[in-house]
Amino acid sequence: MSAEASTAATGAVAAPYRSSKLPDVKLMMWVFLASDTMFFGSLIGTYLAYHNRSLVGPMPRDLFDIPLTTVSTFVLLMSSFLMVLALHSLRESDIGKFRLWTLGVAVFGSIFLGFQVYEFTHFANAGLSIHQNLFGTTFFILTGTHGVHVTVGVLWLVSLLITSYLRPMQAKDAVYLEIAGLYWHFVDIVWIVIFTVVYLVEFL
Amino acid sequence: MAESKHSSVTSYVIVALILGVITYIEFALVEYPQAWLGSTWTLVWLIALSIVKFIMVVMFFMHLKDDDRTYTGFFSSGMFIALATFVGLTAMFVLPRAVASTKPENVAAANAAHAEVPEALLENVETGGASRTPDQIADTPRVADRSVGITPPTASNDASTYSVTAPTTAAAGTPAAAGTPEAAPAQAGGADEAPAAATPAAETPAAAAPVEWDAAHGATVFNSNCMACHQATGQGIPGAFPPLAGHAADIYTLDGGRTYLLDTVLFGLQGQINVNGAVYNGVMPAWNHLPDGDIADALNHVLTAWGTAPAGFTPFTAADVEARRPDALTAADVHAHREAIGLQ
Repeated sequence: MSAEASTAATGAVAAPYRSSKLPDVKLMMWVFLASDTMFFGSLIGTYLAYHNRSLVGPMPRDLFDIPLTTVSTFVLLMSSFLMVLALHSLRESDIGKFRLWTLGVAVFGSIFLGFQVYEFTHFANAGLSIHQNLFGTTFFILTGTHGVHVTVGVLWLVSLLITSYLRPMQAKDAVYLEIAGLYWHFVDIVWIVIFTVVYLVEFL
Repeated sequence: MAESKHSSVTSYVIVALILGVITYIEFALVEYPQAWLGSTWTLVWLIALSIVKFIMVVMFFMHLKDDDRTYTGFFSSGMFIALATFVGLTAMFVLPRAVASTKPENVAAANAAHAEVPEALLENVETGGASRTPDQIADTPRVADRSVGITPPTASNDASTYSVTAPTTAAAGTPAAAGTPEAAPAQAGGADEAPAAATPAAETPAAAAPVEWDAAHGATVFNSNCMACHQATGQGIPGAFPPLAGHAADIYTLDGGRTYLLDTVLFGLQGQINVNGAVYNGVMPAWNHLPDGDIADALNHVLTAWGTAPAGFTPFTAADVEARRPDALTAADVHAHREAIGLQ
């Protein structure tokens, strides 16, 4: 008891050593994003290395639907926009708007996943499986990994939303939403690259 | 405070609008190709626009613009390594092919190779060939089909051989060539020449010699479907894909081996197998989307192309394949079948 009391009295001494004034969770998130960048860089590079090397069909041009994918890309971009609004609202301690925007991000993310499920089903019906050809293998690994990231993001945001009902969330908790937001925006920029490199360039 | 709140939300809205507009421009560049821009400049623009989107999201939505430089440092180093990986992979796999395809001698060789191939075959290849649905492929007339006509078995033969005759034009035009088979391909002009020359069986149709199957077609089917794994000479890839040369002929002579070979192609094979002392545990896909005749000819190719045909070899026919289809086995059933005929 006395030890605790003395700790409280001399808080400066008891504070753990920190090499940085930056919040640990946020720093960790950026380090994770840096590593995830390398991960996706390898996957996209692998897709390109095996591009046009499939011996049997279906080929990308037989399957890709650019208008559809443009819509899903737009949905994901707008979810990023809602994400910054949610963070802004929480920093302003506007819990109602925070909940509204966060729900919006989760819904838009789910819509994106719905597009992806539709796309995968369509491709599978057209005869593209993960072991059909090199295109199938590299495409499903790349976009599947991205889809898993989006799914994790949606679950994360929903869990934050639930948390906001279980205990009061204030502006000082914003860092937890901020790191979820960083993750979400990262998933968005990965899709920006995939949309261009995998989908659009295919039709040039 | 109210001022900064207002301005940051405004900047978010502007960024989101710009991102949306850029996405539409990218879509429009691809969906409505601009002839004056050319594909190279379109590519440059697409990459530039996606980099702009990327940077805008990172700067404004992820707040790196105003945030601590440490974060930028971590993210940039990850980005740098990712880009280096990306550039390295491109340099190793994509660039050499792109460069090679522009060398004058390779262009000349490619054009020469094109010149030798019949127009109809080129159409098949350049329209995607295997990338079409099985139904479309089955509906497309094949080059080989035009060079030979197949007469159904008559009562006088044992129903396992087909009598093949030359196409009507060639047969009518070269009655004198009946005794000199070598003259037949020379007389058959244009598109039919290459397949006829590649087909020993088709060289003698004017002599009405009974030919058991279309060897050129068998080779074509094998090369476009089986060769990727089992290799052009049927050697397979040790440890990955089992050899066919010799091995298939050995299986053929086993009791039930003939049906097993057909089942393997038609229904696939899954499970651990042992071929010539090597263990394989891969997946042979089912090829039941191929027409009956293709499967039969490919099997005949496998059994005869790399050595002498097995003793008592009766060529597979489309009817053989058709007869097996109703069984609709699974790849696991075929594996059981394999064990039943005494193979490991």
